[in-house]
Amino acid sequence: MILNFNKFQKTNQSGSELNNIRIKNFNIFKKKGFPSKKEENWKYTDLKTILFNNLNKLEIPKNKKTSQYNSEQLLENFQHNQIILVNGDFVSSNFSFEAEEKIKIKSLKMVLKDKKIFKKIINYFTNQQNSLVSLNHALVNDGIFLEIEDNYSFKKPLVIYNFFNKSSENKIINNKNFILLGKNSKLSLLEYYKDEDCVKYFNNAVHNYSIQKNAILKKFSTDNNLHNSYNYHLTNVKSYSNSVFENFLFSSGSSFIKSEIHCDLLESFSSCFVNAIIFLSNQQHHELKTNINHRSEHCKSSQLVKSVLLDMSNATYQGKIYVEKNAQKTDGYQLSKALVLSKNSAFNSKPELEIYADDVKCSHGSTTGNIDQNFIFYLMSRGLSKEQANKILVEGFLNEAIETITETNIQSLISKLFIDKINKTKF
Amino acid sequence: MLDINNLSASVDGKKILAGFNLKIRPGEVHAIMGPNASGKSTLANILAGKSGYKIEGTAIYDGKNLLDLPVEERAQKGIFLAFQYPLEIPGVNTNNFLKISLNTIRKVKGLKELDSLDFLKLVKEKAKKLKINENMLSRELNVGFSGGEKKKNEILQMTILEPKLAILDETDSGLDIDAIKIVSDGVNSLRSKERSFLIITHYQRLLDYIKPDFVHVLVEGKIAKTGCGELALELEKVGYTEMEASK
Repeated sequence: MILNFNKFQKTNQSGSELNNIRIKNFNIFKKKGFPSKKEENWKYTDLKTILFNNLNKLEIPKNKKTSQYNSEQLLENFQHNQIILVNGDFVSSNFSFEAEEKIKIKSLKMVLKDKKIFKKIINYFTNQQNSLVSLNHALVNDGIFLEIEDNYSFKKPLVIYNFFNKSSENKIINNKNFILLGKNSKLSLLEYYKDEDCVKYFNNAVHNYSIQKNAILKKFSTDNNLHNSYNYHLTNVKSYSNSVFENFLFSSGSSFIKSEIHCDLLESFSSCFVNAIIFLSNQQHHELKTNINHRSEHCKSSQLVKSVLLDMSNATYQGKIYVEKNAQKTDGYQLSKALVLSKNSAFNSKPELEIYADDVKCSHGSTTGNIDQNFIFYLMSRGLSKEQANKILVEGFLNEAIETITETNIQSLISKLFIDKINKTKF
Repeated sequence: MLDINNLSASVDGKKILAGFNLKIRPGEVHAIMGPNASGKSTLANILAGKSGYKIEGTAIYDGKNLLDLPVEERAQKGIFLAFQYPLEIPGVNTNNFLKISLNTIRKVKGLKELDSLDFLKLVKEKAKKLKINENMLSRELNVGFSGGEKKKNEILQMTILEPKLAILDETDSGLDIDAIKIVSDGVNSLRSKERSFLIITHYQRLLDYIKPDFVHVLVEGKIAKTGCGELALELEKVGYTEMEASK
């Protein structure tokens, strides 16, 4: 597959500053190529091969907005603010539940053209975590820029709809989101992904969050309504003093997704929680990678990842807790539990603790196994079929992670998606 | 109701039941006593359908060989086993599980499924009789329950599911005197002309409360002696070894 960068440049005239960034980063990508299993972080996910086998006609989208979406796809019976992205492009936003003057919302396309605001985010373009980030810098075209003023708490959750329609077929979509929470502000956010007609594309998205002092960000994400898509979602979080970042991931829809969450606990008493369900069947391949960096004293982090794998599916959880020398009194916790229900499915777990401080509390655990056959016998001896018994056991197993969701209306929404999925699954 | 004929069972080549015969008619309460490792729990497990045994012989129940039926079908047809060691099943809510269980069985019986309200009403009423704190039922199945609570939970399930043949595998072990009385009341309240019980126990004490029609002594995989309630009293006095010697 050859990505035609020159053509992209011609149709996306940008200021010289951005243009230089694009050229530089595309060259970096060209040198490195897509990540493969030769790289430690991609050991269990050979993206190069996966893309070659499934999306070898991948191309950069034309500079033409394709903003059709079906409004019936919006969530009902659930009051929320909304931002709509179609194929990664910003389409519309609605903050009617909020004091709109406290919120600055712009399409990233606008920001990239506006020298003054672009300055605010230019530092993010120096990030060279991996070749996909470089590619995203080079090809980014649109996305979200959202800024919340100090002391403002959202009254209703915000849903970011990520719709993908037919025009995204065989395209590589490089959007970037910036969400900046001011001091003492509060936001609950649901990233809701949905595709049309099982389109096949590669979404290489970079999400940047900044959570200032005392601010609270609760972020939920579900790819349950994706089908045939390939995704790399990188989330970078900067947490300042006494802030809270809560993240829940329901990873179960797309053919392939690698979700990578990096959280820097930069100032004391900040905390970060990442909990996830990975629930796969057929030939799905999902990976979750978390990097929690304790860079200051008295910070807290925890992760609970529960996975259930059927058929020929494959999942990986790589969780790293890094504690800097000065990050004393760190409290870090990580637990991964997986049920591998088919002999053709596999789960890889790589917990890592890297600790340089000497007064910390850090622990991790990882278990992988099958359902206890005695449980099945007990339930069947009460009249349940094997299918029902498996179902109720898997539901109970995964529910532990869903119960960690502290936002009740989002919990019931995700719970409903989850039950639908369980009921559709053949055990 | 149940006619067990020449039942043999072995695990890894080791014979546990050998030529076991037993006939249970509707409404009868049979007690099976016997020393450790005489095959009592194996009998219970085999009737409920646990796998892992090499089985010969038949157990005719309602005109069909029970031993050929899948586990869930036995339960749906009215067989109930109160486990000797009820399992702790994390993540599975007790009420939710019981509701699925009851409705599955009702469906097979051709009865209307109960909605949540009716179900909770029923559970509440039954739990009260067994002096079970209903908060326990909104918790995970048996997780963190005491030994006695787990046993009572088995009896609660039995009173809700109303089986035709209930097999109680050492339900009295681990129960204090008050709990034995409560559990026995639960069993006695279910006694009827159509319902039979097979009660496996080590001790005669339980049979003071649940009066059996027959007492069988199981030794080395077959019934060594059968009698009425008095046999249990006699056993308590002389012990299994002496009784075996006098055989």
